[in-house]
Amino acid sequence: MEFWKDETEPIKAFIELFERAKHDTELAEGLKKVNQLIWFDYTEDGPSCSFHVDCRGGDVKVAPGKPSDQPDLTMSLSADDAHRSWSNKLNPVMAITRKKIRIKGSATGLLKLAPKLKKVAVIYSGTLKDLGWESKILS
Amino acid sequence: MTGNTGHFLRVDLTVDSISLFEPPPNYYTRFVGGSGLAAKLFWENGDFKADALSPESLLIFALGPFAGLRLSGASRFSAAARSPLTGHWADSSCGGNFAPELRFAGFDGILISGVARVPSILVVTDHSARIESSPELWELGVEAATASLKQRFGRSYKTLVIGPAGENLVKFACIMNDGHDAFGRAGLGAVMGSKRLKAIVLKSSNKDLLVADQAKCRELVTELNNRVKESVTLNVMKENGTAANLEGGVHLGDVPIRNFTSNFWEDMSDALTGSTLSEKYLIRGANCAFCSVACKRIVQIDEGPFAIPKGPGPEYETIAAFGSLLGSMDLAAVCKAGRVCNDLGMDTISCGATIAWVIEASEKGHIGADQSDGLKVKWGDIQTVIDELLPSIAQKRGKLGALLAEGSVAAARRIGRNSNEYTVHSKGLEAPMHDPRGGGHGLALTYSVSHRGACHVSSPMLFMEMGACYYPEIGFDYELEPLSSENKPESAVVAMTLGALENSACMCQFADREITIPEWVQLFNVVAGLDWEIDHMMKAGRRIFYLQRLINYRYGLRAKDDHLSPRLLTPAVDGAPEGIEIDFEKMKTKFYKLMDLDQISGIPSKKTLQDHNLELEADTILGE
Repeated sequence: MEFWKDETEPIKAFIELFERAKHDTELAEGLKKVNQLIWFDYTEDGPSCSFHVDCRGGDVKVAPGKPSDQPDLTMSLSADDAHRSWSNKLNPVMAITRKKIRIKGSATGLLKLAPKLKKVAVIYSGTLKDLGWESKILS
Repeated sequence: MTGNTGHFLRVDLTVDSISLFEPPPNYYTRFVGGSGLAAKLFWENGDFKADALSPESLLIFALGPFAGLRLSGASRFSAAARSPLTGHWADSSCGGNFAPELRFAGFDGILISGVARVPSILVVTDHSARIESSPELWELGVEAATASLKQRFGRSYKTLVIGPAGENLVKFACIMNDGHDAFGRAGLGAVMGSKRLKAIVLKSSNKDLLVADQAKCRELVTELNNRVKESVTLNVMKENGTAANLEGGVHLGDVPIRNFTSNFWEDMSDALTGSTLSEKYLIRGANCAFCSVACKRIVQIDEGPFAIPKGPGPEYETIAAFGSLLGSMDLAAVCKAGRVCNDLGMDTISCGATIAWVIEASEKGHIGADQSDGLKVKWGDIQTVIDELLPSIAQKRGKLGALLAEGSVAAARRIGRNSNEYTVHSKGLEAPMHDPRGGGHGLALTYSVSHRGACHVSSPMLFMEMGACYYPEIGFDYELEPLSSENKPESAVVAMTLGALENSACMCQFADREITIPEWVQLFNVVAGLDWEIDHMMKAGRRIFYLQRLINYRYGLRAKDDHLSPRLLTPAVDGAPEGIEIDFEKMKTKFYKLMDLDQISGIPSKKTLQDHNLELEADTILGE
C-alpha cells in the first residue's frame, strides 16, 4: 500500500470520516436518501480491510468489517484508491471503466452522492489532520 | 452476404414505382452501413442541387450490419438526407423495433425520392413493398396515425410516422417509430412530409438473421449481453433512464439553463433528475428490440394541468430542453411537452432550443408584439409553450408559429437586430443539452466538426471526457480532465472515427461502452463475414468521416463553418466551469492537422483521400 502502514489505518480513517459526515446535515440527508447497506470492500489489501455503512431506515450506522446482512451494494477497490476517492482525486467513472472499482448491486443511490464528493474531501482532509496523518493529505 | 441482405428498396413516389437496388458488395465493407453507407449512396444517387424539400431530394433509411442480431444496443438504424434545417448533410439515428424487422423482411434500407400525388404510405412485407394512398391519415397526430395503422394492418406491424409538423414542413420535424422512438434531429420528418409520405409500415414473417459464423457469433453475443446486464452504468439507466445522472451533470455545469445563460441551478437538479421521474410518474421501463437495458420510460400523470395517460416519457434531452433550458423545473410539464412534441412530430431538442431563443430575444427587446402575435412567453411558462407555442409551430400558425418553425438560426436571421447573439448552434443545428463549458472542452471541438452540426452523438466524446471509455488498443488511454484542452484534439480523432463507426454500425452509444475494440472487430467479422483487423475497422471509420466532409464541401461548407455560437465559447458565469475559457481555436487547429484537413477548405488532401480508398470522390472534388 502506498498510503497506509497496515490494513487498520485506512479503516480507522474512513470510519471516522463517516462518523463526521453523519453530523453534516447535507451529507447525512444524502446518505439517508441512499437507503442501502453498503459494504466498502478493500480486502485485496488484507482480510479485515473493509467497513460498512448502513443507511437503511432513516439512520446512518458505520462499523468495521463485512456486514452480517447481505449488502445492497458492494464496492471493491484498493485502500489506496479509496484514499484517492475520498480525497476527490479519483474519477469514479474512470475507475469503474478501468476496473479499479468493482461494483455489485445498484449504484443509483451512490450516484446521488457523487456531487457531494468535494464536501466529503474537505471533511476527510480534516479527519486525517486530526488523526495526525497530515502527510497523507493529497493536495 | 451475411448480416446485410444486399438489397435496398428504391421508391420513386412521383411515378409510383418500387424497385430493388443492390449496392456493390464492397460498399458494405468500405462504408459499413447506416450513416456511412447512406453517405455513399447519397453521393452517387443524390442531386446536390436539389432543395431539401423538393421532389428531387433523396431520403435514405439504412441499417447497419447488426440489425436483427439479438444483441443489446444493436437495433438502431439511420435516416439521411439534405437537411431542410441546415441545408447540408444530415443523418439521424433511431432505436425501437423497426430496424430488425426491415432486415428480417429482406432489406438493408430504403431510398425514397419524388413526391406522391396524394398523401400515401409505403407498406413493406417479406421481400416486397407497395405504395398505398392514405389521405385519411394526413393531418392526424403521430399517436392517432400510428393507432389507425395498427388497427388497419395489425398490432405487430412496425411503423414510421410523421406528424403535422412534418406535413407542414417544419424545419425540425421528426419521424417517429411506433410513437416513441424518433429520428429526431435535422428535420428529416419535413423531408418525408415534402414527399407526402405519411408513414412506412412493415411486417416480416421471418425472424432469422444469417450471420457468417453462427457459433462464434452466439458466443460473442452471449458474452456482450451478459456484460450489459451486469454493467453498473447501464443498470443505473435501467432504473432511472437516460436522465439518471442529471444531478451529476448539474454539478459539473453540463446541463444548460435558460438558453445556456447559466451552468448551475441546484434545486432544479433534484426536481428533474431520473430518479424523481421514476418516483413520481414511471409506470415501467421500455426497451428497443433485443435490448436488456430498457432505458426508455413509460409514464403516466393522473392529475393536474399536465395530466397525461400512460405512454412514452421523456429522456434526458427532452427533460433538459423543456425543463432547465426554458427555466422550468416542473417535471410534469416536461412530460407533457415531450408527449405533445412526439404527437406533433417535432424534435424536442431543436424545438426547445428555438423556444429558448425566442424567450431570450423577446426578453431583451428584439421581438415586438407585432412579430409575436401578442404572445409573451416567459422563462418557466411551459403551460403557454404547450397550449400555444407547440401547436402554432407545428401548424406554422400566425407570425410567431411560422417564424419559429424555421428553427432558431433562420428565425434570428429573419428578425435581425443582433438576435443571433442568442442562438446556440453549430452549422445551423441547435446544440443538444450538454454544455461543453461544463461537460467537457472536447465536446466543443466535436460539436463543431460534427457533419450535421452541434451533435453529442456524432462521437463518444461525452463519454470519453466522463471517463467511461478506455481503448488502449487504439491509443486512447488518456485520463482526460473535462475542463481542459489537453489531449482533446487527439481524443477527438479517436472519437470522430469511432462515432462514424458506431453510427454506421447503428449501435447504441450507451450499450457500446461495454464493447472493447477487439470485440468490435470480432463482431464485424463473425456477423458480416469480414476479415478485419483493428486497422481496417478504424480506417473505415475515418473513410466515412472524410466522405461526409466531402458531401458538406459540395454543399459549400468550409473550415470556417466548423465553429460554435459565441455563447458556447464565452466563459460560464456560474457553476463549476465559472470563468474557464475553452481554448477552441488551438484544439481545432491541432485536430485539423491530425486529420490532415486543410485549414481553409476543411477537407483532406488528395493523398489522404486516396489512402482511404476515396479516389473517385477525390477526383470529383479536386479534379483528376
